[in-house]
Amino acid sequence: MSKPVLRERLVEALGADAVKTTPEDLAVYSFDAYSDGATPSAVVLPSSTRAVSAIVKIARECGEPIVARGAGTGLCGGAVPVAGGIVLSFARMNRVLEFDERNRRARAQPGCINLDLSRYVASTGLFYAPDPSSQPISTLGGNIATNAGGAHCLSYGTTVNHVLALEIVDAAGEVFETQLDGAGYDLTAAMVGSEGTLGIVTSAWLRLMVMPESVRVAVAAFDDIDSASAAVSAIVGSGILPTALEMMDAVITKAVEAAFRAGYPLDAGAVLLVENAGFEEDVDAAQAAIHAIMTSHGARSWRSAQSRAERDALWAGRKGAAGATGRIAPNYYTQDVCVPRSKLPQALRAVEAAAGANGILVGNVFHAGDGNLHPLLMYDKRDRKQVGAVIETGNEILKSAVDLGGTISGEHGIGWEKRDAMTRVYSTADLATMARVRDVFDPARTLNPEKIFPSGARCAEVSPP
Amino acid sequence: MRAAQGRTAPANAEAIAEIVGACDRNGEKVAIAGGATLAGMGFPPERADVTLSTAALKGVVANERADLVIAVRAGTPLQDIRSVLATQGQFVPFDAPRPQYATVGGTLAAGWLGPRRHLYGRLRDYLIGTTIVLADGTIARAGGMVVKNVAGYDMSRLYAGSFGTLGILTQANLKTIPALPCARLFLAPLPEHTRERACAQLSTLKIPPAAAFWIDGFHRAIDGDEGAEGRIFALLEGSAALLERATLELRSALGRAGVPETHVVDGGAREAFERVVDAYVATLGERSVTYRLYAFPDEAPVRARAAQELAKGFKLRAETIVDVMNGDVVLRVSDRETHAFGAKIEGFDDAMHAIEPRAQVIASKHPHRPFLRVWGTPPAAIERMRELKSRFDPNRTLNPGCFVGGI
Repeated sequence: MSKPVLRERLVEALGADAVKTTPEDLAVYSFDAYSDGATPSAVVLPSSTRAVSAIVKIARECGEPIVARGAGTGLCGGAVPVAGGIVLSFARMNRVLEFDERNRRARAQPGCINLDLSRYVASTGLFYAPDPSSQPISTLGGNIATNAGGAHCLSYGTTVNHVLALEIVDAAGEVFETQLDGAGYDLTAAMVGSEGTLGIVTSAWLRLMVMPESVRVAVAAFDDIDSASAAVSAIVGSGILPTALEMMDAVITKAVEAAFRAGYPLDAGAVLLVENAGFEEDVDAAQAAIHAIMTSHGARSWRSAQSRAERDALWAGRKGAAGATGRIAPNYYTQDVCVPRSKLPQALRAVEAAAGANGILVGNVFHAGDGNLHPLLMYDKRDRKQVGAVIETGNEILKSAVDLGGTISGEHGIGWEKRDAMTRVYSTADLATMARVRDVFDPARTLNPEKIFPSGARCAEVSPP
Repeated sequence: MRAAQGRTAPANAEAIAEIVGACDRNGEKVAIAGGATLAGMGFPPERADVTLSTAALKGVVANERADLVIAVRAGTPLQDIRSVLATQGQFVPFDAPRPQYATVGGTLAAGWLGPRRHLYGRLRDYLIGTTIVLADGTIARAGGMVVKNVAGYDMSRLYAGSFGTLGILTQANLKTIPALPCARLFLAPLPEHTRERACAQLSTLKIPPAAAFWIDGFHRAIDGDEGAEGRIFALLEGSAALLERATLELRSALGRAGVPETHVVDGGAREAFERVVDAYVATLGERSVTYRLYAFPDEAPVRARAAQELAKGFKLRAETIVDVMNGDVVLRVSDRETHAFGAKIEGFDDAMHAIEPRAQVIASKHPHRPFLRVWGTPPAAIERMRELKSRFDPNRTLNPGCFVGGI
């Protein structure tokens, strides 16, 4: 079906205001925070579940794939149209629909910004725990699609631990609901992290948590990454799980201080940011135990934030770290791998070796307590040689993480970028098992096609006949 | 129904794959057996030519102590895992009945929901990797040994709660958490007029109990004697310093609710908690059926009362455990006579589901169990679930008919 007809039908269903087809509008929706994709045929901005359902039905009849999109902050091409089609933006479905304070839950639309939910319930002493660094701009729908993590998932768990029920529009445009407790398969778990390939989430009941009464944040400085990562392994190994345990190397702290003046020491090879939140009786003891382990592992300084403002400044610096690297290089590429926590020192040495061998400057800022690495590879994308070196470095990091018993994505997802790397961690049989789930929900592969599953020959083995 | 033709206990995934694959090709049906502690859940299999036990599939595969991760074979009893973890100061909140017999595979497959989940999370959220044998003999792995992993679909969580109808779990990789140093048990008789208020107070405490129950009945299973009919039972866990404050807070909250006296027990607190969990599936021979109702905490007391009233209308004895923190209601209905019970239970089951469509049977040895709505009214997404089953097990080889909607 030609594009004018598609547009006509979408306008008829949604109104002209909700359908964008001019080249400049389409261009805006052809990329995410990672990469450029193809230009879509149309961009739609539905305002209701019914509208989403109508869009899916029209897309199906017109033979157009659908890519659901939140804020486009994804780092692996999950929300970019690869095969054209319709980009479905949730910008107008951004409200908190219900708040059940007594049972600590809220229902929100997928376009609702993560932090807006916490703000909405803040006066009641509750908050929404998953906190990816993008939380001031990324949406709950996108967070659900990628099973987003964040600094505090060390103690609070990733997004899937906080989703209670979903309303979903399937590939045929039918609406269905999943619920966590009760009989039947856990379709909620299947949907969370499926990157828009099994259905389009149109609302979600989310679990809220009680704000801790006491929060302690401290920064410890180490001479090098090696001793800092050994300290992290020792803390986890000793059976202490802080609320958050983050690492930044010298490259990153310098950039962060230049941008935020957050209070990180500039003379350290690596810093650890540690938070213990909970009850008065426990947080100081936990902080002291961690301080002792860090000292015995070579921490040369330890500074506790003395006020809420100081604490917030340290966190603002940490969460803004990736953006701050703009001072170092025009572009950066964020790798995302997860390794067993006891393997952190080896994993970081492998990162350094890979970057060094390819002549790439690397900055490390990551969720150390989870073993979730985020090497930021600095480059200038106008230089093709540098682009090649970054890709090579990224691949070597993936390989080393897998060799250490880790995985190719801890929290960003697979998307378009890493789909061919899936065969590094899964056998054809493992992937074919995932494809059986896809066959149920999207047999024609019209929802976010060309994502997660490997391309080419490998793909044929895990696709339906 | 045909009698089982054989019982087999293979020692590894490869052997299971061979047996199951052959059954699948020959049209034979396979029933999966763990520790039989949750044998009162679900429907009996429509047919079982082979009963495949995980009894020989035992032991720790990898104990990554410093990573707070452990990989175990599916037939490993929960108690064995608990013992290993206890020696290294860690735990996983299984909170399932009869842990010396219950297997980790069975507990996961049954989607068991424990009373401490409001604080420590669901068991499925500890599952970071699995190995499964599908009906066609495929051995598939999902996840791994890392605590954060978003590479592909979350197959492990999908297998949890699938009741062995998608495949046979052979290995579970679990993350663990540091053990809590102290536990304290709080007991109080609960006069009739204080119940709703006491539940409301308990569920809004600043320092939440690890578990809190309002219990009516279940005397022999829990107390070993005939105590007060209604009582409060709360487990506090944490550091010694925290428990001091929590104790004061709990006492004054119950006082405000009008609960006259409270007892504090430190020794054996966790054992007492386990007796409550065991009581979830304790039957009175063939003359009882136990349901689990899913409510939100604020409505659980009211729904528990409604269920009790309903049972009284049928002249059935009703005993309840209200999980105050999560909102679950466990209801055991019984009669003195097996025959009299059998005459009432189907009528009660209909009436029960009219007011609680999602009520599930979690324990029963009564021969009428197959005729009850043991999974409650099928969920809205049941057709998608059937399709999922048909993709994973098109010949209905594994646990046929055991799951919701006859899956």
